[in-house]
Order: sequence, then structure tokens, then C-alpha cells
Amino acid sequence: MAATPALLELDHVNRRLAGHPVLQDVSFSLQREDVLGLLGVNGAGKSTTLAIIAGVLRPDSGSVRIDGRDAIDDARSMRERIGWVPESVPLWPELTVIEALDACGRLRGLATSTRKAACERELARLELTTVARRLCGQLSLGQKRRVGLAQALLHEPDLLVLDEPGNGLDPVQTAQLRELIGMLRPKRGIILSSHVLAEVEAMCNRVVILHAGRVRHDAKLDGQHGGLDAQFRAIAAQPASAAA
Amino acid sequence: MSAFTIARIDLKRFAVRPFAWTLAGIALAMMAWQFLLGVSAFMHAQPTLPGPATGPGFVDAVVAPYLLNYIQLCLVIAPLITMQALAGERGAQRLGLLTASGASGTGIVFGKFAARLVFLWLLLILVATMPLVLAHATHPDWGQFGAALILTALCIAALCAIGIACSAFTREPALAATAALLIGEGLSLIDAGVRITGGDTGWLGYLALHTHLAPAMRGLLRSEDIVYFVLIIALALALAIRRVASERERG
Repeated sequence: MAATPALLELDHVNRRLAGHPVLQDVSFSLQREDVLGLLGVNGAGKSTTLAIIAGVLRPDSGSVRIDGRDAIDDARSMRERIGWVPESVPLWPELTVIEALDACGRLRGLATSTRKAACERELARLELTTVARRLCGQLSLGQKRRVGLAQALLHEPDLLVLDEPGNGLDPVQTAQLRELIGMLRPKRGIILSSHVLAEVEAMCNRVVILHAGRVRHDAKLDGQHGGLDAQFRAIAAQPASAAA
Repeated sequence: MSAFTIARIDLKRFAVRPFAWTLAGIALAMMAWQFLLGVSAFMHAQPTLPGPATGPGFVDAVVAPYLLNYIQLCLVIAPLITMQALAGERGAQRLGLLTASGASGTGIVFGKFAARLVFLWLLLILVATMPLVLAHATHPDWGQFGAALILTALCIAALCAIGIACSAFTREPALAATAALLIGEGLSLIDAGVRITGGDTGWLGYLALHTHLAPAMRGLLRSEDIVYFVLIIALALALAIRRVASERERG
């Protein structure tokens, strides 16, 4: 019997931006119900990796597969299975929360009844009901992140891609985010990027450390983090040329 | 479907932002002033003009120059209203969000174009309403009026498409507006030198906006003029779609 393919599989992915190699030979995989933390210092290539997974960027070479299917050439249909929240949470500031969610539902091609139900579900799940009629431009950063997450979850994706979800959140909001990720984990895979080790340790069961565009460490988190902390520091301290 | 949704989002954003309202207010005030000046000049000149059968009528003397003035104004308005369309979205990372949400390059460009065209055409309707209120007193030539209005609408669509194309190629809205303004002014003035000296404008004349607007302002709706504007629209939108579609490769 053939083995079940990984939910997400990156194989020797390379990407250059503005003439510089940003990702070099990046390979890792993610199983359903895994929460994978992509750890690295600023400029390590985390956001580029996530944008490639989300289908927003195309790798120069290598493959990205979702459930064994090519996600590069078939990006449009694969996007239906992915929910992506970029680091800056791009929202239309002139739209209310409910209008923004409705617009995303329309773009996803959800039917009217499904879309309305999905908006209500996500407003309730992300505790946004009280701000549903407020303009996105008037929300706090934490609320904006939750709206971004609601947009990404509207179509119930199999794979959730979160770029620096903890950035700019206060301790209470960070705790809420952890709870939320725990709640979203069943039935789907989650990949999130961070440059904070403690955040990854608290939310993830697997970690991939990227440095200068290369995977330097890929392991399960088993609760014994002392070694990982030292390893991350050692990798992060290396000059980019050493990583290459 | 995604084009319709994107157009809806942008129209909603126009309705909320003061920029579009301010732009519309200034444009309408300027056009009202132009219209009053035109009517006033026509009334003063009327006693000296030949009779209605041979002389220039209300459409020749007032409406045609007035619509040409609106086109001149659109050379500025169109770049201003289109500059954020794709450049601004790219800068705010919303272009990636649209792509990740399943919108195609074609859908994004058509949606952005449609929203701005609706705005500019609504403005044209309001601008055209001013001469229409005098229709009962002036016996306008409806055929000439219609031809002038159709070509004005097409010309505005072409300027809008040029603005969208310029916005697709940069991350800086100001740069997009400047490029669109230069292209629009270029098309408007390309044959000016030859025209002033009275020479044969040749292919420069074919490229010029004036060549394709003048017959319509006299009431002549020519297919070659319609094709000229449709070609500009198609070319500009095709370039914009190509650029947006290659966003995944470029990053």
C-alpha cells in the first residue's frame, strides 16, 4: 500500500529575488495536524518560503506539493486549500470587518449562503462580532491580525500559512493566539514563521530553522528545548557566507 | 467573478474616501465654469452667426468644445484616479492577498479598470447633464451630441486603461500617475507641431487623440476612430494583465 503523501512537501526549492539567492535548496514537509514553526533571524527567507507555499511567489526551481499534487503549476486550484496571512495583514482600511470578510468570500467563489455562514462562523470563532461593523482601518493590530486570520479561514483550508503571527501582539493577545492555533490544529496543518524561539516552542510540535535561505535544522519539538535554544543561537550567529 | 468583486470593493472604497469626492467636486466645478463661459460666449456671438440651417449650432459652439475640455481634464484626473489601482495595492501587499484569494491577473486588472471607469463615466454623465438642461431651449443636434458623447466615453476609457497599465508597472503611485500623464499628454500633443504649421501629419496624426475626436465632435462616428480607442484599451489592459500575471515570477 502506498504511503499517504505529506500535506505539504517542499523539495529543493530555490528562489532568487533582485539577483540574490533568497532560498537555496529548501526541503521540508508537513503532516496534517502538525504545527510547524519556521524559525530564523530577519532576512533568513521565512516570508519568501511562506509566499511560495501560498502560491504568491513562484520558485525558480524545486517543487511544492500539497497532498502529493503540484502546487506550483496548479497554483490556482491549490490556493483553495491554503489560507495565508502575510506579516503586514493587508486589509482594505475603508471596508468594515464584515465587508472585508464578505469580499474575501466572494473572491474565493463561495456561494451566498455558504459565505454568510462562513463569515458568521469566523466572526464568532475569532471574537470579532463586536467589531464587525467597524472599519478595518480603525482596528488595533491584534484585531487586524484576527481579521486576517478570519479571511484566511473562511474557506476552511487544509493548510494555514501564518507569517509572523505574533508580531506586535501584547502578552494577552499572544496567549489568545496560542489558544487559537491549538483550536485550529485538528484536521489541518499549520505553518508559521517567527524569529522568537519561545513563541515557536509554545505553539509548534515541529521546527525548521532557516538561515541565509537554507534549512539548517529540522526536528520535532519534544519539550526539551535547552539544546534547540543553543543550536538556534549558534546558527543565528553564523555569517550568511558560512551558511552557504 | 473576481473582476466584479474587485470592482465592487474599489467602488466601495471610492465612496468612503474623500479623495474621489474631492476630485469629482473639483472637476464638476471646473466643468460648470467652462460650461457657463461657453454658453455666455455663444449668446454673445449668436446675433453675428449665420442662421440655424448653415451656422454652428449649440452642440458645435458649446457642447463639443466643452466635452473636449472634459477630455483635457481627464488627462489629469485619469492618472490620479488610477495611480493607486495596482501600484498602491502592491505597495500595501494587497495584490498578493488578492492573488492568494484566487483572483487571476485578468480578474484583478479588469476589476480595477471597471471601478475607475464607472467613476469617470459617472462623472461624464454629470458633465453631460449640464448641456442637457438647456436642451429644451436650444434644439441640439442629438446625433452630433451622441457621437461626441460616445467618443468622449471611449477616449476616457482609453486614458483610464493607460493609467491602469502604468500603475501595473511600478510600486510608486506618483510614478504611475506621472507616466500616465506623460503618455496622455503625448497622445494629445503628438501632432501639434505639424498641425500648427498646416503640414501632413501622417502616422503622427493617426496616433493623436485629436484626429479621432474631431470627426465625432462634428457628428461623424467613424469605425476607425472607435477601433483606435479600442486598440489603446486592449493594448494597455493586456500589458497590465501580463505584468500582474508575472508577479509570481518577479516577486
